[in-house]
Amino acid sequence: MDTPTKKKKKLGLKPRYAVMTRGLSWDTSYQPMDKVFPYDDFEGIKIHDWDKWEDPFRLTMEAYWKYQGEKDKKLYAVIDAFAQNNGHLGVSDARYINALKLFIQGVSPLEYYAHRGFAHAGRHFTGAGVRVAAQMQSIDELRHYQTQAHTISHYNRYFNGMHDNIRWFDRVWYLSVPKSFFEDAYSGGPFEFLTAISFSFEYVLTNLLFVPFMSGAAHNGDMATVTFGFSAQSDESRHMTLGIECIKFMLEQDPDNVPIVQRWMDKWFWRGYRLLTLVAMMQDYMLPKRVMSWKEAWEMYAESNGGALFKDLARYGIREPKGWKDACEGKDHISHQAWATFYQYSHAAAFHTWVPNADEMDWLAEKYPQSFDRHYKSRLDHWGDMQQRDERWFNQHLPMLCQVCQVPMMFTEPGDATKICFRETEFEQQKYHFCSDHCKEIFTHEPRKYVQAWLPVHQVYQGACYPDDINPESPGDSPVREVLRYYGIKGGQDNGDFDASQDRQNFDKWLGKKPAKEA
Amino acid sequence: MTTSNEANYLKTIGHYHPPTQDAEDKFFGNQLTYLCWDNHLMYCAPFCLPLPPSLPFGALVRDVLPLLYGEHPEFEQIDWQRVKWFDSNDVFIPDFGKSLKNHGLGHKSLIRFVTPALEGSRNHIDTQTQAF
Repeated sequence: MDTPTKKKKKLGLKPRYAVMTRGLSWDTSYQPMDKVFPYDDFEGIKIHDWDKWEDPFRLTMEAYWKYQGEKDKKLYAVIDAFAQNNGHLGVSDARYINALKLFIQGVSPLEYYAHRGFAHAGRHFTGAGVRVAAQMQSIDELRHYQTQAHTISHYNRYFNGMHDNIRWFDRVWYLSVPKSFFEDAYSGGPFEFLTAISFSFEYVLTNLLFVPFMSGAAHNGDMATVTFGFSAQSDESRHMTLGIECIKFMLEQDPDNVPIVQRWMDKWFWRGYRLLTLVAMMQDYMLPKRVMSWKEAWEMYAESNGGALFKDLARYGIREPKGWKDACEGKDHISHQAWATFYQYSHAAAFHTWVPNADEMDWLAEKYPQSFDRHYKSRLDHWGDMQQRDERWFNQHLPMLCQVCQVPMMFTEPGDATKICFRETEFEQQKYHFCSDHCKEIFTHEPRKYVQAWLPVHQVYQGACYPDDINPESPGDSPVREVLRYYGIKGGQDNGDFDASQDRQNFDKWLGKKPAKEA
Repeated sequence: MTTSNEANYLKTIGHYHPPTQDAEDKFFGNQLTYLCWDNHLMYCAPFCLPLPPSLPFGALVRDVLPLLYGEHPEFEQIDWQRVKWFDSNDVFIPDFGKSLKNHGLGHKSLIRFVTPALEGSRNHIDTQTQAF
C-alpha cells in the first residue's frame, strides 16, 4: 500500500549547484585538515579564504553526465559512419596520416596523464570549489583519451605506426619530450600543476595545439578527427576558465604568491612552447593541404591573444613570461629545424618523413621569407638530390639532448640561425647542457628534479633500451636495430621515407593509382 | 609536516633525494662526449657518444669524426692543422697523441670545432651557394 507522498519542490539552479558541489564537502575532525590536505601549502602559496574561489563553471555532476553523454552519442555516430564509408580513403594523401600518428603517439597519452594529474588535484586542494572543477576535468581528460583512441583505431586497421602508442610513449626518444613535460607538471604540487596545465598550456597555448590539428584534419578530409576535436573543444573552454580562475585566485589571495606564480609562468610557458615544436613541424611539413603556417598561427594565437592577456595581468604585478621574446623570434625557425631532425632520424621514429615537393617548397619560401631560402632550403635540396640517386640519407649517430626539454640540441642561437645554441652549468661536479637560457634557468632553480631526467640517448648508452636477450655492454653490430626491437617499432615498415613506405603503396593501390616508384 | 627543502634544491612534502641519472659510472667505463662541427647544420644537432677517457685525441679525429661527419661534402676538404678547437666555449690546442682525459675533457664535455673557410650554412649566406 503506497501512501501518497507530497512532491518535494525542486531546488533552483543556484541552490542546487551549491548543495551538490560545495555542500558535499566537510571539514575533517578526527584528523587536522592540514594533515588530510598536505599538498596545498608546501609550494608556498598562501590561501586565506577558499570561499573567495569563483567556480569557473556552475555544473553539477548530474548535468555533466547529461551533456557529455549527448556529445559522445553524436561523436560515435560519426565514427561509425566514417568506418562504414571507408573514410580513410577520402583523405588528401597518405602522407597526412603521419600527422595522426604523431597525435596518437605524442598527444593522446598526455590526455591520460592529464586525467591522472587532475584526479590528484581534485583530491588534494582544500577548497571544495576547485576540487569539483578538477574532478570534472579529470573525467573529461579520460574521455578525450578514449575518444581519440577509438577514432584513430579506424586508421590503425589500414596504416602502420599506430598500433602500440602507449609502449612507445614510455620508450621512444622523441616521445620523451611530451612525457617528461607532463611528468614534470604532475610531480609538482597542485598549484603548480594548474599553472602548468590549466593556465600555461590550456589557456595560453591550447589554440596552437588544437587549431592546427583540427583545421588540418578538416582541410585534409579527415572528418573523424574533426569530430573528436570539436567534442573535446567544448570541454576545453571549461578547462581554460579553470586555468585563468586559478591564476587570479592565487594572485588575489596574497601578494607573496605573485613571485611564485610568475616563476611558474616563466617555466611553463617555455616548457609548453618547446613541446609545441612538434606541432609547428606538423603544421608546416606534414599536412598535404596546408591551413596556415606555424608562424601565422603563432602571431595570431600567441602574439596577439597572449599579449593582451599579459597586459591584463599586469595589474597583479605579473609580466609576460621571460622566454616570450625568444619564442617569438623562433617562429621563423623551429618547424624547419624539427623537420630536418625527423627527416634524418626517420629510421628510428614511428612515422614517415619526406622532402617537400616543389610546390610545398614554394609555399614555405612564401610563408617564411626571412628564413626558408636563406637557411633551410639548401639542405632539403641536398637530401632530395641524394634521394634521386637512391641514397636516402639517414643520420646513424645519436644526438645530444637538452637536459630539461629533452629535445635534440637543434635550436639555434636567438638572432643567428647558423649556430647551435648551447648553454651549460655544473651541479655536484657534473655538467648539464641546455638548448636555451630558459631551459637552463628551469634547471638551476630545481636541479635535483632534473638530474633524474631519463634522457633517451643516455639511456641507450647505459644499456637500458635493449631487449632482454641483448647484452647491454655489447649490443652487437646494429645497436639501432636492437633499440627498435625494444621500442616495438618495425624498421622500414613503421618508419623511414614515405616514398618507400607500405602506407604509400597501399594507399595508391586502394585508389587504383599506379605506384610512382617501387619500394 | 611540510619540508621546505631548500638545501635539497627541491620543495617536497617529505624527504626525497633522487639519484643522478647519468653518473659517469653507468656507462661501462666510457664517458659521454658531445661533438659539434660548428655551422654544419645538415646534422641537425651535435652528437653524443660514449668514448673511453683514454682515447687519444688523434684517434678521435682519425676514426670517430669521419664516421659522424664524413658524409658532408665539405668534410674531405678540412685542413686539420687549421681547425680551431673548443672545450665548450674555451679554446684549446689539442695534442693528438694525448688522451681526452689528458686534455681535461671529462664526462659530458662538449668538444666543438670550427673549420675556417669551410663554414657550412654560414657560407651560404655570404655566397648564396648551396651550403648547409
